[in-house]
Amino acid sequence: MEIKRILKNLDWWLISAVLILMGCGLGLIDSATHSFAVSTGKAWHVQRQSMFMVFGIIMVTISLAFDYRMLKNYATRLYIFNIILLLAVMFVGHSQLGAQRWIQVGSLSFQPSEFSKVFLIICLATFMDKRIEWLEEFKDYLPVFGYIFVPWLLVMRQPDLGTSLRFIAILFGMIFVRGFKYNWFLRLGVAFVALLPAFWMVLKDYQKNRIRVFLNPELDPFGSGYHVIQSKIAIGSGGLLGKGWLAGTQSQLNFLPENHTDFIFAVAGEEFGFVGAALIIMLYLIIIWRGIAIALDADDNFGTLLAVGVTSMFMFHVMVNIGMTAGIMPVTGVPLPFLSYGVSSLTTNLMLVAILLNVKVRKQNLQF
Amino acid sequence: MLNKKQTLRLQTLLGLCLVLFAILLGRMMYLQLWRGEYYTKQSDGNRLRQSRIIAPRGLVYDKDGKELVNNLPGYAVVLQKQSDYKPETLEHISQLLDIPVADIKKKIKESRNYYEPILLKNNVSQEMVTKIEEQRRYMPEVMLSVQPIRNYPYKELAVHALGYVGEVSSYEIAKGLFKNVTQGSIVGKSGLEKSYDKILRGEDGSFMEEVDVAGNVVKHYDSVQPVPGKNLQLTLDFRLQKALEEFTDKHLAYLRNSGLAPRARAAAVVALDPRNGAVRAMVSRPGYDPNLFVHGISSKDWDRINNDDAYPLNNKVISGEYPPGSTFKIVTGSAAFELNKVGLNEPIFDGGFHPLVPTMGNAGGEVLGWLTFISALAMSDNVYFYELGNRVGIDNIAKYARIYGFGQKTGIDLEGESRGLVASKHVKREIWDEDWRLGDTFNAAIGQGFNLTTPIQLSVMLSIVANCGIKYQPYLVDSILNADGTLFEKPKRAEGKHIDVSQQTIDYMRQGMSATTQEGGTASYFSQLPKPIAGKTGTAENSHGRDHGLFVAYGPVDDPELVVVCIVEQGGFGSTAAGPCVYRAFEEFLKEGGWMPEGKPDQQAGGSPAEPVPAAQ
Repeated sequence: MEIKRILKNLDWWLISAVLILMGCGLGLIDSATHSFAVSTGKAWHVQRQSMFMVFGIIMVTISLAFDYRMLKNYATRLYIFNIILLLAVMFVGHSQLGAQRWIQVGSLSFQPSEFSKVFLIICLATFMDKRIEWLEEFKDYLPVFGYIFVPWLLVMRQPDLGTSLRFIAILFGMIFVRGFKYNWFLRLGVAFVALLPAFWMVLKDYQKNRIRVFLNPELDPFGSGYHVIQSKIAIGSGGLLGKGWLAGTQSQLNFLPENHTDFIFAVAGEEFGFVGAALIIMLYLIIIWRGIAIALDADDNFGTLLAVGVTSMFMFHVMVNIGMTAGIMPVTGVPLPFLSYGVSSLTTNLMLVAILLNVKVRKQNLQF
Repeated sequence: MLNKKQTLRLQTLLGLCLVLFAILLGRMMYLQLWRGEYYTKQSDGNRLRQSRIIAPRGLVYDKDGKELVNNLPGYAVVLQKQSDYKPETLEHISQLLDIPVADIKKKIKESRNYYEPILLKNNVSQEMVTKIEEQRRYMPEVMLSVQPIRNYPYKELAVHALGYVGEVSSYEIAKGLFKNVTQGSIVGKSGLEKSYDKILRGEDGSFMEEVDVAGNVVKHYDSVQPVPGKNLQLTLDFRLQKALEEFTDKHLAYLRNSGLAPRARAAAVVALDPRNGAVRAMVSRPGYDPNLFVHGISSKDWDRINNDDAYPLNNKVISGEYPPGSTFKIVTGSAAFELNKVGLNEPIFDGGFHPLVPTMGNAGGEVLGWLTFISALAMSDNVYFYELGNRVGIDNIAKYARIYGFGQKTGIDLEGESRGLVASKHVKREIWDEDWRLGDTFNAAIGQGFNLTTPIQLSVMLSIVANCGIKYQPYLVDSILNADGTLFEKPKRAEGKHIDVSQQTIDYMRQGMSATTQEGGTASYFSQLPKPIAGKTGTAENSHGRDHGLFVAYGPVDDPELVVVCIVEQGGFGSTAAGPCVYRAFEEFLKEGGWMPEGKPDQQAGGSPAEPVPAAQ
């Protein structure tokens, strides 16, 4: 009975979109790592990614047996664990591309900041849910800001601009839906602009450079601007129908760096053209649409907050990543959910999908 | 449950997301559909490398197939086309090749083709090739490409006829002076290299490769093979050309060192076959080494050549304009006979001056008494020809000058030919705005004053006489050959035309010229040659220094096969200054024809009679 009810309430739109995207992701990763796979005789990336995909799908399935509301009980512990994890990155993490982001556990190295976004969504939803009745005046929101400030600061110190912006996206998504006044958003915006010079000082040189180069990629055509220039060439040269799978010259001849991770969308654009790119964008649109629908449909505030947090997260990733590959967003090192190679990212994104599905499935007032 | 406000906020959030998705889709449309073609080119530019295979220029042979111009293998430095270059790389290249960075940037900017490398420097030295090979890994965009380099094995030999090549200039490209050229193409800059550039150049080929980001070649595409330029077989006779150049240099040195003509540095000699106009030798002095231009001439060499007051770059045979002096008496004589103003045996008295203009007499104040045409021409008497001029008038002199080809280009297959000038009332009016006087007619009658001719025009005039009245256009290219040596085509030449002068008159001229080289004539030393040669001396007045010496001749008299014209600037009398060069030309010619024993021409510059006593000029 229980299983029947779960199956009936599963969001098949969401599941289909995620499965199709992950399938596309495997194809694109295969293409992007093709020369590596040919030279080593082993499709290492594809194998690893599919392994974690299976693992993730099992995890999502199992999670359906639980009720998302029990997450509330773990919020404080998760919050503390999250802070420990982020501190650990600072001390035992190893750096890549100028930032400390990785932790090695046995033979696995993973990115704590990926997991911290899941924890953050749960903690923040719990925290706001408890105070939901009192969130009326601006000052009522100050504890919320304070709550998120500690992990945010730790992420900034890594430094990981992408993740810290991700936190802000989650926060804004939640307080927006809760009813944070437009007026206050405006004031925050003004305050931000006023603080911009101070903020600029905090940024690391490479981050400043990325922003400078974003404003004018030609400034550094061989350094940070190179990625964007090559990525735009890859996407643009795809035209309407693309050059075909494994036939994208930008990706196959390695003109496009990091093409299996952050710039995977450029591979799609190059090899499958506008048709492929539009299809992928539509699939993300389905995920966002379902996320908001689940938030609307949730039968408690906690569920709504969770769904909004997850949806804002996805929206942020999609917009920043695709925007980056298309040259309308700065390079921030944000992967594209379900498509980019990266097992930490894949696992956490599936966790978020599990949360969304759970919110839908665990509705109490169901119309039988 | 959600309140209304939250529901509205969620709906707003969805709306916001839809807007963002629309932006992303719009961006994709812009990049992939609107700008797709541009980015496709950019991506091709990343992966495709086209290299030009330069077609070897055609070879140039003398009339017997001796190679006068060929190609040597060499290297050019090229820069792989990219959308951008690192400043350090450009700086490095600039230092290595000694080209200012600004010039490199200009070359980059000027090149249009997406895949074709930019030519930085042609024909680099072996030392440079080694240096670049060593440093290539620091600048993979710099490459060496094999290139045929023009070579003139005999250096100065026939340089004015052959010309030289060089890199096409931006001006020449902009003006469209050459077809199918791009920046860095090698084109003819002067001489036959220029006038036959289209035939000699051939068509460059190319090949294309696909490379990865590290520059490794991934794939080869079909290549377009270059079409080599066609070869030219010239009418020039290497032996005669070489002999004449060597002798002219020696002779000029002799004239300067002996004090006869201390400033005699410039000269022009042309030898051609009167039976068709084929030029056998073309000498202009001073000369220069065309190889200097091929290798990128140094400013020192350029200054030396360009500032020389004897203009080594000018081909004096076709562009030098000189008063024809007494050689013009053939025109005056022809006019007089054609118009029946004088009889062959009609004596005219030379009393040292002409009674109508008593100030005008013979050179050196000689008085030769009663003369008929033959002896007057042989001894180059002036008073006799003043009288002929008086009888025919300036208009007729000008008319016959034009009939003999003066005042117009001969149409030889070289660029830069001068027209010369035919003395007439009109010319004087135009230059000095003065009335024509009888004295002007007298001057014109003996080739002084306003008359100006080029050596090649004189050779045409003489060919007409030698050839019994038929006028041919002089030319240098006998045939155009395919790369494999087979005949491609013979350039079309105008048919010979009999000029409007009677056979009889021409005969008289021939008799007069034959007498010139016999005992009693102004160039009697020609009688030492085993075959009779007919000639005419000339001394052209020069207001800037010593007179120019001229000599024109054809031979053998009964069946002329060679016409030779020589002018020595500031050389003094024609018989001493120019005559010996012509003598040497016939010596060589007669040896080749087997009429004279082979062997070294005895002794030095004056071996052929360099110091015969000139008769009246």
